[in-house]
Amino acid sequence: MAARRRAGREEVLDSIYIIVAQVLILVACVELCDAASVVDVYRLIQYDLSGAPLGSRLAGLNHHAGAAPFASGADLSRTAVIMPIRELNLTFLRDYITNRRPLGGLLLLLPQKSNEKIVEEIKKLGIDNKEAVMRNILVELEQLLIHANIPYPVYFAFEDDKINAALADVRKSDMATQPATATTGGYKLVVSSPEPKKLVSPTLTNIQGWLSGLKGEGDTNQLPTIAIVASYDTFGASPALSVGSDSNGSGVVALLEIARLFSRLYSNPKTRGKYNLLFGLTSGGPYNYNGTLKWLRSSDQRLRESIDYAICLNGIGSWNNELWMHVSKPPENAYVKQVYDGLSSVAKEMGIVIGIKHKKINISNPRVAWEHEQFSRLRVTAMTLSELSSPPEFLESTGGLYDTRSFVDETAIYRSVKLVAESLARHIYGHDGRNIQIFADNSSLAVNPSYINSWLDLLSMTPRVAPFLSKTDPLISALRKELSGHTDEVRVQHESLDGMFTFYDVTRARLNIYQVASVTFDFLLLLVLGSYLILLFSFLVITTRGLDDLINIFRRPPSRKVKGA
Amino acid sequence: MTVFHFFNCAILTFGPHAVYYSATPLSEYDTVGTSVKAAVVYLATALVKLVCLATFLKVPENDNFDPYQELLKAMIGFIDVAGLYFALTQLTHRNISQNHKFQAVGLGWAFADSVLHRLAPLWLGARGLEFTWEYILQGLEANANLVLNLSLAALGSLMWLRKNKPKTLVPIIYAFAGILATMPSITSYLSRGLGWNFPEVVGFELISSLVMAFFSWQLFSACQKPST
Repeated sequence: MAARRRAGREEVLDSIYIIVAQVLILVACVELCDAASVVDVYRLIQYDLSGAPLGSRLAGLNHHAGAAPFASGADLSRTAVIMPIRELNLTFLRDYITNRRPLGGLLLLLPQKSNEKIVEEIKKLGIDNKEAVMRNILVELEQLLIHANIPYPVYFAFEDDKINAALADVRKSDMATQPATATTGGYKLVVSSPEPKKLVSPTLTNIQGWLSGLKGEGDTNQLPTIAIVASYDTFGASPALSVGSDSNGSGVVALLEIARLFSRLYSNPKTRGKYNLLFGLTSGGPYNYNGTLKWLRSSDQRLRESIDYAICLNGIGSWNNELWMHVSKPPENAYVKQVYDGLSSVAKEMGIVIGIKHKKINISNPRVAWEHEQFSRLRVTAMTLSELSSPPEFLESTGGLYDTRSFVDETAIYRSVKLVAESLARHIYGHDGRNIQIFADNSSLAVNPSYINSWLDLLSMTPRVAPFLSKTDPLISALRKELSGHTDEVRVQHESLDGMFTFYDVTRARLNIYQVASVTFDFLLLLVLGSYLILLFSFLVITTRGLDDLINIFRRPPSRKVKGA
Repeated sequence: MTVFHFFNCAILTFGPHAVYYSATPLSEYDTVGTSVKAAVVYLATALVKLVCLATFLKVPENDNFDPYQELLKAMIGFIDVAGLYFALTQLTHRNISQNHKFQAVGLGWAFADSVLHRLAPLWLGARGLEFTWEYILQGLEANANLVLNLSLAALGSLMWLRKNKPKTLVPIIYAFAGILATMPSITSYLSRGLGWNFPEVVGFELISSLVMAFFSWQLFSACQKPST
């Protein structure tokens, strides 16, 4: 008797537990409801390289969200994986991409852009910390992504509260149960985007400015020319995020500032030098300096022969104490030696070390690692100033994801400008080897740090992947206008990119994050509603017609049907 | 899957009306005609109400609760009562008992209300990918509305159709009818004046409708006694 009573009590307790559990589940469900949120996302580049498909081949996304860690061997072909770069598992990603295992989609979360605090902290702590590690990860990730053929959509987004909240929820539900599928609800990531189309005949736009020197009286010879060249376009994993502050925003800024300084000298006939100055902003840098090649080929032969030498600026925004001069002629060459001596004498005064690196050109190799090699191939003496000590590989150091404003040190650009401008001026005015400061600080000809800063900020906000820049892009007209303010004659030249590359559009899109209910939830709801209606029916029948009627209904279903009809 | 959700919400919104019709003796006496007539009257009333609202009410510039405007709205809300009066007394019904008449009218009234106010949002919203509780709550609200309308119709039939009712109950009947008629204004006050959330308002509606239904039932059976 007592045992039975105890059993009964246990049953009651059990049912109470079940009710409590149900209430808790209901409360948990209620918490989940927010409205859909929309975030800007930036697509991984999609391009063909001599016919081989590379990058992300899809743009449309409609899958449930999932987040690491995943169970090994889990089928993720219908999961949109969210991965914050902060805690990126590169081996996992590499495994998935190189083995071509399918994912539903990939959303990579970049840390917040332009976080002033973080930048200040880096400067205090030095580069050698977490952010530098992050930079290395980004470099590796970018190389991995752009050299792989990825058959699913890959997007980049910046971490923000909405995405982080969704990610935390996804993590929580993943932790609690099995990976997100159609039956556990969660979040759905939807990008509705048209099929990416091929970009028709992408153009490269070169901008050249000309400052003519002053001929001496009775001098009939053509004046020699010195060229300053920088390529301004970028290439990166995400065309909409490739701002390339260092490669090669720093070179462009330095070129503009050098043009500004010499335009002040050349505007006065007394200080106009006996050299013409040619400023070239070239496009197509990441594609073996294709734009530089076209620019040189199409330029006047006499002009080309008048060029004494060309100085190319490439990546001069984040060096500490050592800059490299890359040449393809042996360092004993007269011009090379003269430029190197000029630069190193100024460098010594500024406390900088300049190294020289000689790399011979292999004509049969299509790879052009430095911009000066295009000049050298056309027998024009040229050299590249760069912080890089070795030539970058193809599509490397072209201003991708990691290359943002926070990693560029404007004082490095300032010093580069001073170095180049000072040595050039000494050469032009014949003061080689003498310690004469032409662009002395605090003089009217001083290098202007705020000019450098503002241009660097502008370039660091403007993605500049050449195929996605139209002929009339605001950036191109801004550069043209700026150069025409400093030089006598500005020419803009449009060329088509050589056929090896094909690019596809859709570089940015809007991602909808939907909170979805699972099928199980809908089934449960249907069950609850069904039982509610049945209860209501029984209740109404009992109250209005009595219990017997209700029983009769179930006893004689056929007659009921006839009545209902 | 989303169509499934829409289906669920539709069951919740319109199911009880059908169940009520088939479970109660209404179906046995085939009172569809009465319900349809009531629904038509509801449509006409809604139109008149709309015209009145458009004529007398200012467009609210913000979502604040303006007592004067709300009072006006409540007054216009009484047009519903007039419509119900018309449906109960003026329409020629087939010879059915008063008992069933008010149920049929209330049912038709509530169903028309649900179709008019909830079908379109349901169709547009519940099929979306994003899951919200809103449409489930709306369905619950439809249930509360059904109960309220039935109660109101019951009290209306007591007021206007039943002649020999106990004198002491008359003021109580009128008071309850008044409360029922002002129910929409009360809920509007709760959600906008006091800033209640939608789930809270729906909860209040459900509870109040059950309470009102209980009292109406008691009143109705109290009036029933002397006649039987």
